[in-house]
Amino acid sequence: MTLNLLIWRQKDAGSAGKMVPYTISNASPDMSFLEMLDMLNEDLIKKGEEAIEFDNDCREGICGMCGFVINGVAHGPRRATAACQVHMREYRDGDTITIEPWRAKAFPVIKDLVVDRSAFDRIMAAGGYISVNVGEAPDANALPIPKDDADQAMDAAVCIGCGACVAACPNASASLFVGARITQFALLSQGKPERKRRALNMVEQMDKEGFGDCSNHAECEAVCPKEISISNIAAMRREYLKAIVR
Amino acid sequence: MIEHDVLVIGGGLAGMSAALHARQAGADVAMMSKVYPTRSHSAAAQGGINAALGIADSWEVHAYETVKGSDFLGDQDAIEILCSEGIQDIFTLEHHGVIFDRDDEGRIHMRGFGGTDKSRTCHVGDMTGQTILHVMYEQLLRMDVKSYDEWFVTTLLMDDGACCGAVAMEIVSGKLEVFKAKSVILCTGGCGRVYEPSTNGLIVTGDGLALAYRVGALIMDMEMVQYHPTTLPANGFLITEGARGEGAYLLNADGDRFMQNERYGATTLLEKASRDIVSRAETIEIQEGRGVDGCVLLDCRHIKDRILEAFHQIYELAQDYANVDITQEPLPIRPGMHYIMGGIKTDVDGRCYRQNGDGVEALPGLYAAGEVACVSAHGANRLGGNSLLDCVAFGRRAGAHAAEYAKSINPPNVSDQAVEIEEQKIIDIFARSTDLRAPALRLEMGEIMHQYTGVFRDEAGLLEAQRQIREVRNRYNEISVHDKGRVFNTDLLAVLELDYMLDCAETIIVSALARRESRGAHTRTDYPERDDENWIKHVVVYQTPDGPKIDYLPVTITQWQPEARKY
Repeated sequence: MTLNLLIWRQKDAGSAGKMVPYTISNASPDMSFLEMLDMLNEDLIKKGEEAIEFDNDCREGICGMCGFVINGVAHGPRRATAACQVHMREYRDGDTITIEPWRAKAFPVIKDLVVDRSAFDRIMAAGGYISVNVGEAPDANALPIPKDDADQAMDAAVCIGCGACVAACPNASASLFVGARITQFALLSQGKPERKRRALNMVEQMDKEGFGDCSNHAECEAVCPKEISISNIAAMRREYLKAIVR
Repeated sequence: MIEHDVLVIGGGLAGMSAALHARQAGADVAMMSKVYPTRSHSAAAQGGINAALGIADSWEVHAYETVKGSDFLGDQDAIEILCSEGIQDIFTLEHHGVIFDRDDEGRIHMRGFGGTDKSRTCHVGDMTGQTILHVMYEQLLRMDVKSYDEWFVTTLLMDDGACCGAVAMEIVSGKLEVFKAKSVILCTGGCGRVYEPSTNGLIVTGDGLALAYRVGALIMDMEMVQYHPTTLPANGFLITEGARGEGAYLLNADGDRFMQNERYGATTLLEKASRDIVSRAETIEIQEGRGVDGCVLLDCRHIKDRILEAFHQIYELAQDYANVDITQEPLPIRPGMHYIMGGIKTDVDGRCYRQNGDGVEALPGLYAAGEVACVSAHGANRLGGNSLLDCVAFGRRAGAHAAEYAKSINPPNVSDQAVEIEEQKIIDIFARSTDLRAPALRLEMGEIMHQYTGVFRDEAGLLEAQRQIREVRNRYNEISVHDKGRVFNTDLLAVLELDYMLDCAETIIVSALARRESRGAHTRTDYPERDDENWIKHVVVYQTPDGPKIDYLPVTITQWQPEARKY
């Protein structure tokens, strides 16, 4: 199949970028989206042009490395998948596809489709961990955790940190990411002692990084490859409120 | 020049564990990864991490089954440490916030895996590696470990016979920098991409193995390459052993559960026998004409409720990449290259070794842990669920020891000139203009390795592989890159990685030629029997100006003597 691609090209963080048109004529419906880009890159290299840089690693939706905005939707058309899980059978011969990096002030472009997501790290460093001294650990089974709690915490902990939530949000808010992290710890007995300090510090760091606020568009939930629910944002707000009113 | 006490190269589970424990021991630690650390390949580990937590289980049973799984090639002192200390490691992970799946009573749920009839594998759904990696990374952020993300190491540095740092390239800028360190811990993972196909991610290119090999470290048991029994034919993706652990069947074209056949020696554990045995059985079924388009079938239909509850990832993988709904129809799968039991020879504290006259001596300042290392906890065949445990436990020990060692020595002498030598290598690559590109040559190498050093090997094939790989090595020097920029140049990285992979391929082939018997994952059709009289020993290979040299090291046996291996 033949596809018309419009892809964001940007030399480095300091340069201005622009959308550049490409045509690919020999795509197959069984290719994954990233394989299609690989093929385009091979063509570009043969023609003596510079290949398009994009982050990727496992290519099976686990690692959280890949991600870009495809036709205006973070990670592309399929629900609950990362960009690497999109296949070209989603498209028809002659389609035009736009491909852009995550757009957010807090995620500056490094090159082409590669963005700097270290802001997430700084939020995590502000309290996204358990630091209570566990001492000589007793058997982990001595403190049983109800299966429901473990399952619910896991529903939040499935986050792969890809950043699609930020890219999809009209306000470029990181609330879903931060909400999931805060909820995950708040549900665990070992996370409870620090829950107030954690909520306070992580939310404040999120603001400092320049992410926008949440205004309940739910675009984040719609694009999340791991289907993390926006109820985690509500939980984050409750945690934050409890922390500031003491 | 950047200075730290301890430099950890690799940011997967072993690297994180090493960095964390070196930091806890009070050292100034830096962790360097060529990717963002939580994207490391440890994240792909689906099934789980073994620990004998069950009432009817004990670490001794776990250790014995690991020894048996290793076909009696594993070093039993290392295996005892793995299985006994590993239990505490699981508790620590739990306390740090790993949300292990729970059973109805609230205890950690353990699933069945290969090579045992016990349920011993703690897990987080089927994304165990990823969750542990994320929690470990949180701990590193908390402990303020300096993380150099997206840096690629081009060489290790030596001073007076000791490892004292590395030269690395910042991928984002292309800038080369000298890192001076009192000790260096290699945690760069395996070398799966030496094979095509492989279950391993594209970043798994044997960097650390080659780096150590080039400074004279001993590389051990490289002939032991694990083929995982259940991978997708389209792209080599892995379907977790947990599926068979939960009771999935393997069927041939006639619909028979072929593992019931006595010839495979696994009439008790059947599909849950160890990986080498199941992969061999599948290959024989396919070779003898009972396959389905080069595959056999994984049947999960009778356990579909469990699949939908606890194996969402493999359900999706099968749907996305094979277009099969595994709750409705059997899934075609085949053995695929998955793991290398061999690696840089280390002791139980992660220290590397080199040849000295007729004996061996420690290579001061250099450590290794995880898949890149060979301690050897896995011997000739690794049990599923033991690799994450290996990373956590031996990463911890290497980190702690490297930190103590760093405290005990004076700062090494390192010059900035090393950058110029590395810079020249890159200039030379940029200067070439040919049509030969790294990906094409890597594919050629991968197919040679799969054909001649896969599940079955023989001398003629191995010699042919050696000849062909040498020919690929000669052509390597003709590779050129199109992208000659310095910012995020993945074209250049592919060339540098291929250099490392070719070293790994060489060590695999010479080791496989050396071992004239069949043991574990290494099956020589020309020497089909296990030969305990002559071959209870490790094959080591080291680099000399005249090419790779082979030597042998004894296997440590503590309490379990070799015996016939039946499942």
